[in-house]
Amino acid sequence: MSSKSRNGNNRKVVAYSDLAIRNNLSVVEYCRTSMAALSGCTAGVLGLTGLYGAVFYIFAVTSLWFMILFKAGLSNWKNYFISRKALLTNGFFGQLFTYILCWTFIYGMVHVY
Amino acid sequence: MTADLIVDPQIRFWVFLPIVVITFLVGILRHYISILLSSQKKVEIQQLADSQLILRARVLRENAKYIPKTSFLIRKHAFNREEEGYLMQKRPPVTQNMMTDPTMMTDMVKGNLTNVLPMIIIGGWINWMFSGFITTKVPFPLTLRFKSMLQRGIELSHLDASWVSSASWYFLNVFGLRSIYALVLGENNAADQSKQMQDQMSGAAMAMPNDPKVPFKAEWEALEIVDHQWVLTDIENTITQSDG
Repeated sequence: MSSKSRNGNNRKVVAYSDLAIRNNLSVVEYCRTSMAALSGCTAGVLGLTGLYGAVFYIFAVTSLWFMILFKAGLSNWKNYFISRKALLTNGFFGQLFTYILCWTFIYGMVHVY
Repeated sequence: MTADLIVDPQIRFWVFLPIVVITFLVGILRHYISILLSSQKKVEIQQLADSQLILRARVLRENAKYIPKTSFLIRKHAFNREEEGYLMQKRPPVTQNMMTDPTMMTDMVKGNLTNVLPMIIIGGWINWMFSGFITTKVPFPLTLRFKSMLQRGIELSHLDASWVSSASWYFLNVFGLRSIYALVLGENNAADQSKQMQDQMSGAAMAMPNDPKVPFKAEWEALEIVDHQWVLTDIENTITQSDG
């Protein structure tokens, strides 16, 4: 989130720098992957099963969303991202697979044997 | 502990963990080998010019609202004019014979060397070495349909569907480590096996020489239907107010 998108002079019209927005999104994608792996490991260590794991994943995604918004600034997140909702929902199912893999792996290491 | 089945803890260290490590390291190794073997692709100057042209048309289409209508129409005219607009140019169809072009052949051989060969060898080796183990249990209940997917190599009809066999654990890793590779190696890495499998499925279509006529036509259509909306009508007032 280093590069700041440029603001248009007009208050109503905000011009986003395409490159900067794409860079921000890819940084967020990295954060999301790390979050999925870490929360998967946490769920595995805690030994969550069934629906508790799914709820934990939703909790992790939402808390990452809040953290990103907090980092970008709760009032001026619009400088960095076009849509707040897309930030929450993008890659939800793509990272779910990473989460399940880490969860299964650590759960197997700790609780199955 | 909560399991209804006691699994030998030795399996954890000698089957379960090695499969994860091997899959991960093979992916990384494949990435570096394909970097080593990759050859610089030769780009025709005409192709480069065409792709830049399409890029320019797209930039015009997306940012049309920041230029006055006349300027937009002039640019659009340059691209879409009936006879000699940029996007209406005729290109001779590119015909490349794959068998006679030696660079293409070596590219194909290298691609097979880095993708197909390790997959067969490692997959076969894992199947042979670690066959028939129950490795782990997924921490959520699954229906019977998943049995054939997760319990490859174990034909036990009474086993609960959430147990995973070693061969299936390997495949789960192959597909699941994709985003971890993106994290470790950066985007567009060569370790991604599943993407290359998709490439091979559609290989026939990919190998065709790309014809600029199709993207030209698409871009022409998109530019035709742009509705020009000038967003900076009030710009003088805004600037003088905010600066004043």
